Amino acid sequence: MAMLKQRWQRWLHRRIPPANSVLLTQRRIFIIPTRIGAAFGLALFLMLMAGVNYQNSPAYGLTFLLAAVFVIAILHTYRNLAGLTLHAAGGRPVFVGEQATFRVRLSSNGGVHQSIALGWPPQELQRFDVSADGIAESEITVPAIRRGWLRPGRLRVESRFPLGILVAWSQVDLDQALLVYPRALPGELPLVAGIKDDDDDDGARAVGQGADDFQGLKAYQPGDSKRRLHWKAYSRGQGLLVKDFASLTGRDLWLDFDELQGDSEMRLSLLCHWVLAFSERQQPFALRLPGSVHGPDIGETHREACLRALALYGEGGR
Amino acid sequence: MSAAQAIPRISLLWLLVAQVLVIVPHLEHLPLWIIALWLVCAGWRVQIFRMRAQYPATWLKSGLTVGIVGGVFLSRGSLIGLDAGVVLLIAAFILKLVEMRTRRDALVLILLGFFAVVTVYLFDDRMTTVAFTLLPVAGLLAALIALQQSPQQQSPWPPLRLAGGLLLQAVPLMLLLFLFFPRFGPLWSLPMPDQRAITGLSDSMAPNDIAELSRSDALAFRASFEGAPPPRSQQYWRALTLDKFEGRRWSQSSEVRWAPAPPWTRAGEPLRYRIVMEASGKPWLFGLDLATTELERTRLMSDYRLERGRPVDKTLVYTVTSWPQALRELQASKPALRRALQLPADGNPRTREWAQQLKAQFPDEQARVQAVLSHFNREPYFYTLRPPQVGENSIDDFLFTTRRGFCEHYAGATAFVLRAAGIAARVVTGYQGGELNPSGNYIQVRQFDAHAWVEYWREGVGWTVIDPTFQVAPERIEQGLEQALANEQSFLERTPLSLLRYRHINWLNQLRLNWENLNYGWERWVLDYQQGTQLEVLQRWFGRLDSRDFLVGLVGGGGLVLTLIALWLFKPWRRERDVQQRLYQRFERLLARHGVRRLPAEGARAFAERAALALPGQVGHIRAFADAFEAQRYGGQPVAPEQLQQHLRTLRRALPMRWLQRDD
Repeated sequence: MAMLKQRWQRWLHRRIPPANSVLLTQRRIFIIPTRIGAAFGLALFLMLMAGVNYQNSPAYGLTFLLAAVFVIAILHTYRNLAGLTLHAAGGRPVFVGEQATFRVRLSSNGGVHQSIALGWPPQELQRFDVSADGIAESEITVPAIRRGWLRPGRLRVESRFPLGILVAWSQVDLDQALLVYPRALPGELPLVAGIKDDDDDDGARAVGQGADDFQGLKAYQPGDSKRRLHWKAYSRGQGLLVKDFASLTGRDLWLDFDELQGDSEMRLSLLCHWVLAFSERQQPFALRLPGSVHGPDIGETHREACLRALALYGEGGR
Repeated sequence: MSAAQAIPRISLLWLLVAQVLVIVPHLEHLPLWIIALWLVCAGWRVQIFRMRAQYPATWLKSGLTVGIVGGVFLSRGSLIGLDAGVVLLIAAFILKLVEMRTRRDALVLILLGFFAVVTVYLFDDRMTTVAFTLLPVAGLLAALIALQQSPQQQSPWPPLRLAGGLLLQAVPLMLLLFLFFPRFGPLWSLPMPDQRAITGLSDSMAPNDIAELSRSDALAFRASFEGAPPPRSQQYWRALTLDKFEGRRWSQSSEVRWAPAPPWTRAGEPLRYRIVMEASGKPWLFGLDLATTELERTRLMSDYRLERGRPVDKTLVYTVTSWPQALRELQASKPALRRALQLPADGNPRTREWAQQLKAQFPDEQARVQAVLSHFNREPYFYTLRPPQVGENSIDDFLFTTRRGFCEHYAGATAFVLRAAGIAARVVTGYQGGELNPSGNYIQVRQFDAHAWVEYWREGVGWTVIDPTFQVAPERIEQGLEQALANEQSFLERTPLSLLRYRHINWLNQLRLNWENLNYGWERWVLDYQQGTQLEVLQRWFGRLDSRDFLVGLVGGGGLVLTLIALWLFKPWRRERDVQQRLYQRFERLLARHGVRRLPAEGARAFAERAALALPGQVGHIRAFADAFEAQRYGGQPVAPEQLQQHLRTLRRALPMRWLQRDD
């Protein structure tokens, strides 16, 4: 069974190679009857039996008409999917436990496409309409369960329109991937200021949330971070003011993996929480993981780099 | 129930509509409370949808089910049989409406609906009914389509349009299947519809019975002849004979009912024709004079009537060979003659006395018969559809007092007199004449053509036909009932809307005849398209066929039809990936339909200017499109196909409709 599945995947890979943008053509669309189609077929059979046993021509006629509708529906079901182009439109990184959102852009090359279902089974597929010559943005969510790269694999795209008795489907690999950060876990922080074996240990073990305090506002001076500008005050016409925090000693804060207790996932989660907390407060910090050191630094890029390092820790990642 | 499983509003709407349309053709054989049930269930369902009512609780559902089964039993007397079965099916179809929660339930309802449509045909297979049932089928398909739509779709019409399109596209394939799908006999026997009261000849005759029947314009049968049909005065369509008289009513004795035909001798030229007979609910078939048929399980009975093993409960087609000059029962057995002379012990004394006089006066049998016939001719007898009531001695009253009667009075009285005068005689019932449909070259016989006449037995000749009505009203035989009743104005007086009353209005009559012709074709070629007809038709078209030819025809023809439809649907020849270019092509095609064609290598601007000159009324719209196209294509403006489409649409609307409009 597993071998069959593998062969199927290999075959699919050859037939629909991964690409950022895939046009659904007849080579890439498969079409089979659904369970509803089977029920429809059974109903047709019963109707045929009525026609045969009562020698009733109209009953034959209606059976044949609906059977012909079944056949014609193959063309219509196919047409509803064919000519659709799927583009990978990226997505944002998320934390474990959140819903990862992949964006897929559907564009039509002329026809109306109704009720196109997208998704990664076993997730429920989401349905979208694409108007003629139009473009639909779809967001497909997948639960982020593990940190690291989230590669949802082949996206199933299917259409049962118009009758639901047939399903035209394809599995396209849009080569999509999202980074999943560890879950942020608030907790005690072993803060290490500067070098670990510093004599001056007293100020280094700052406690929890109260690590530094908002002191008040002071006039802006060139060189102050623009992020700390107090815009509300500015809008009230009080001039440019800067939020002033009493930062801890003025030494950089070190977040060290090795200083923490617990298993590595636990430690990563704690670190993650503090990376977020410090970034929020515009506080410079450094992250030390076995094998890599980030910072000390401040700012969006630093934060991203740290989170990425946490996400990919131990994966030899990319 | 997740949101994805909920039934969309449009689907529910079409389900309700389709349900009404499914039930309407069933109404004739449904108890009336079904309508009340539907109203309650539909109202309830709508309230559920509007969140003003709950789904029925389990106890209520079981209660309703028991109630309905009880109701069916009470109104139909049983729970088995087709009639009760159909009532149950429709009731289930209605109840399921209230109970349905998910798309799956809706699907069950739709499939039930299709099946309920098929059961309509078992009761009524007229062309109009079958055409009507296309409406519920389209409605059910629309509901099925709406089930698949995403909830953003709000208009109810696109699903219906698509359903109609699907049905239309399915027609060629359906015809192919209908033609080539092999037909075979019933696999097992199923209950037939209960006989409803069908107007038609019955197996006995009392005064006024046939007069009553003559008020109906319902069709009895149609006959198409290979050559020219015989003259109207010889068109005596026999059904059966009545040989037992009980003072008032003529009926058939049991010996005659079961015995097979006595020997007969062919004579003269045979007549060949085909009869398409409407359901009569009776086993006997119609034919001219002595008729034989190849129809299976059909025999010639003792009085030379054609009888089938089971009643004709749906349209029946059979071919007949008639021998108008055949000699029937030259050597009659004693019991047979005794039966044909039987009379009640007493009653009608004056008639008996008159018969005795005749017997004494005319020793020759034939002269005696002639005397009776000429008596009707000579004395003041009247042919009327409104005969006065006759008393205990019905024949005495008629012959000597009222002297007004319809054919059954004359036939009954003649048979009585002949018997009393010692001549073996019996009453024959059937139809006389009919209307020739000139466009189809066939004769249509209706209930008002019902007739009764007399046969008497003569040594050396056998049974001989006489018609006393002819003596009173020869126009009845030569022209028809309407002419015979011209003075009385009583022809179809109770059905003022019958088109047959307006035969003198030429165009209306032509319309009616064409319509009837269409119906005849329906019965002859569609309803009767079973085993025999299928082979006959296909062999006429394609020569000899075996089962492989059937398969090749089905698969090959099906493939061809599908390819054509696929080409029409996908139009690969005008596939253009560029949206602007495609819209421009549509613009070109639209103008080409109005006679302005783009020359090879003619630029967009030049073409638009030329078109504006050719179609001065639409200068504005043409320029608007061309400008927008140029601006988007070459002027660096953002691509906005909607804008181009809008311009194109206004242009198309402004132009007069030409040829088929194509929608993409």
